[in-house]
Amino acid sequence: MIKKTLSHFDRVQKRAIVPAVEIQGLQKLFSLRWQKKSLIALEELDLEVQRGEIFGLLGPNGSGKSTTMKLMLGLLYPTKGQIKIFGHTAGTMQAKKSIGFLPENPYFPQFLTGEEMLRYFGELCGLHGKKLHERIRNLFELVDLKHAAQRRIRTYSKGMLQRIGLAQALLHEPELLLLDEPTAGVDPIGSRRIRDLMIKLKEQGKTIIFSSHLLEQVEDIVDRVVILERGRKLRYGRLNDMLTNHQDYVMRLHGLSEAKIQEVKDLLQQKLDCSVTCEPSHESLESFFINLLGRDKSDLDKPLKHKGKSKSK
Amino acid sequence: MINGMIESIIRIRAIAVNTLTEALRQKVMLVVVLCGLVFIAGSLFMADLAFREQFKFLKDLGYAGISITGMVVALIGAAQLIPAEIERRTLYTTLAKPVWRFEFILGKYIGLIALLSIIVIMLSTFFSVILLIQEMRVITIETPLNWLQWLLGSSDHLNDGIKSHIEEIQNASRDPRLIQAVLLVWAKLCVIGGLAVLLSTIASSTSFIVSITLMVYLVGNLLHIVRLEWGEHSVESTFLKITFITLVGWLVPDFELYNLIDEIIAGKNVSWSMTLEMLQYSALYVTVLLALAAAIFEGREF
Repeated sequence: MIKKTLSHFDRVQKRAIVPAVEIQGLQKLFSLRWQKKSLIALEELDLEVQRGEIFGLLGPNGSGKSTTMKLMLGLLYPTKGQIKIFGHTAGTMQAKKSIGFLPENPYFPQFLTGEEMLRYFGELCGLHGKKLHERIRNLFELVDLKHAAQRRIRTYSKGMLQRIGLAQALLHEPELLLLDEPTAGVDPIGSRRIRDLMIKLKEQGKTIIFSSHLLEQVEDIVDRVVILERGRKLRYGRLNDMLTNHQDYVMRLHGLSEAKIQEVKDLLQQKLDCSVTCEPSHESLESFFINLLGRDKSDLDKPLKHKGKSKSK
Repeated sequence: MINGMIESIIRIRAIAVNTLTEALRQKVMLVVVLCGLVFIAGSLFMADLAFREQFKFLKDLGYAGISITGMVVALIGAAQLIPAEIERRTLYTTLAKPVWRFEFILGKYIGLIALLSIIVIMLSTFFSVILLIQEMRVITIETPLNWLQWLLGSSDHLNDGIKSHIEEIQNASRDPRLIQAVLLVWAKLCVIGGLAVLLSTIASSTSFIVSITLMVYLVGNLLHIVRLEWGEHSVESTFLKITFITLVGWLVPDFELYNLIDEIIAGKNVSWSMTLEMLQYSALYVTVLLALAAAIFEGREF
C-alpha cells in the first residue's frame, strides 16, 4: 500500500518536473539531391516549454517555425538532436496522444460534414460511442459551430475552418496544443475569438505553442517566445522582459485640456530635467475595427435565408 | 496488448470507412461505374449468333467490362490515396493523431478493396441479370415458351426435345463456375490495387503511378512468353537471361495466371482448389506489397 502510494507520488512529482516540450541540439537539413547540397532548416535549437504556458514561435517565412512543429509531431525526422514531449520522444504514440495539432490553412476532407469529420478524427484518437458523441457536441458549442455541424466542410468559411480545426485538435483532450498560424487569413473578429479561446484553454491548464505573423495578437497572450530566423534562434525568453524598456515611460492623462497638458509638460521638464513627449492617444486599427463591429459574429457564419420560399426541416 | 490491437483495428476501420466514403462521393467513380454498366448492357445488342456463341460472347464482354471498370477504379482510387492526401495536406492532421503509419496504409488499402468489392458485386449482379434477359430472349425465340412461362418455369406441357433444348440454353447461361471467375477478377484487382498503393508511397504524381502500374501489369501478362523464350528449357537461355527472368518473376506478379477466367468462360473445368490457390497467391503478393509500402511510408517525411 505504502509502496503504491510512493510510486504514485513519484509519478506526480515527475509529471510536475518534466517540461511540456524539451528540445536539445535540434538540427534539420533538407538535402537538395540535384544540387548535391543541403538546406539548413533548423540549426542547433535548444528550448523548453513549461506546462501551462502559451509559447510563441515567431519569425519570418522560412525561419523554421513549421519545421519545428512538424518535428514535434513526427512528420519530419531530426537530422541531429532530440525532442521530448512530456518526456516521450516526438513521433511516438505516447507523444502523439498528448498533442492536438491545428495545421496552417487547415485542409480537411471536403466531402465530409463537420460532424462526420470530428467523428473520423475522434475514432482515430480512440474515442467512440456515447463519449465521442458527447465530446463532439461539447466541442461544437465551444467553437460556436453548432449551426454548421451538418454542413459539408467545403462550404465553411476560413474562420469556420480554423474553428473546426481547433475542435479536432481538442478532441482527445490533449495537454499540449500546437497551432500553426491559427489566425492566418481570419478576419479580426474571428481571430479575436480564436485568441479568447486560447486564453480559455490556458486557464484549463493546457500548454499552447503557436506560430503567428500577427505580432500584435502574439503580444497580448503569449508568456514566452522564441524568435527564429533562417533556422537560427535569435531571441528566447519572456516577452515582457524583451519588450520592456526601463529608460522610457508612458504616462496617460485623461480629461485635460491641451493648455493643461502643456502646463504639465513644462512642469515635468523644469522639475525633472528630462525630455517629455506629449501626443494624443491613438487606437490601433484592430481594436477600432473590433469595437465598431463588436456584435455577435456567429450570425455572419449562418447561411443567408431567402425571403419567401424557405424549406423547413 | 489485446487492448492495443483492438484500438489499432478501430483506427484502421475509421481510415478504411473514410476512404470508402470519399470514393463513393466522388463523381468520377460514378461515371466510371456507369460506363461499365453501359458496356455490359451493350453486349445484349450483338450480332446474330448461335446461342452457345451468344452466351460465350456475352460472358467475354461481361467479364471484360467488370475487369476494365474495376481496374480503372483501382487505378484512380489507389493513385489518389496518398498523393492527394499530401497535396491537400489532410495527411498532416491524420498522421498527427495517435495513428501508426502502417495503420494508415492498411486502412487506405482496405477502403479501396471495400470499394472494389462493392463495384465487382454490383457489376456481377447486373451482368447476371443481363445473362437472364438473354436467356429469356433466346428461349422465347427458339422454343414455344413465352416470357411469363419462362419466368414461372412452366415447361411441363412441352415435349422432351424442347425441354432438353431449354435445359441446354439454361446451362449455357447459368454457369455456377462464373462465381470462380468473379473471385479471380476480384483477386486480380486486389493485387493491382496493392501495386498502386506501393507506388503511391514512392511517387507523388498520379499519372506516373497509373502508367507504372499499367506497365507492371503488362509485364506481368507477358512474363510467360519471356519465360518460354529465355527460360531454362529454351535453346537461347543463358545464365544472365535466366537470372533476369527469375528476378522479374519474383518482383512482378504473374498476371497470366489469372487468365483461368478465359478458360471458365470457354466452358472448361477449373477446379476450386486451383481457384483457391490463385487467391492464396494473390494474398501473398498483396501482403508483400503492403509490407513494402508500409516500410517506405514509415521513412517518408511530410
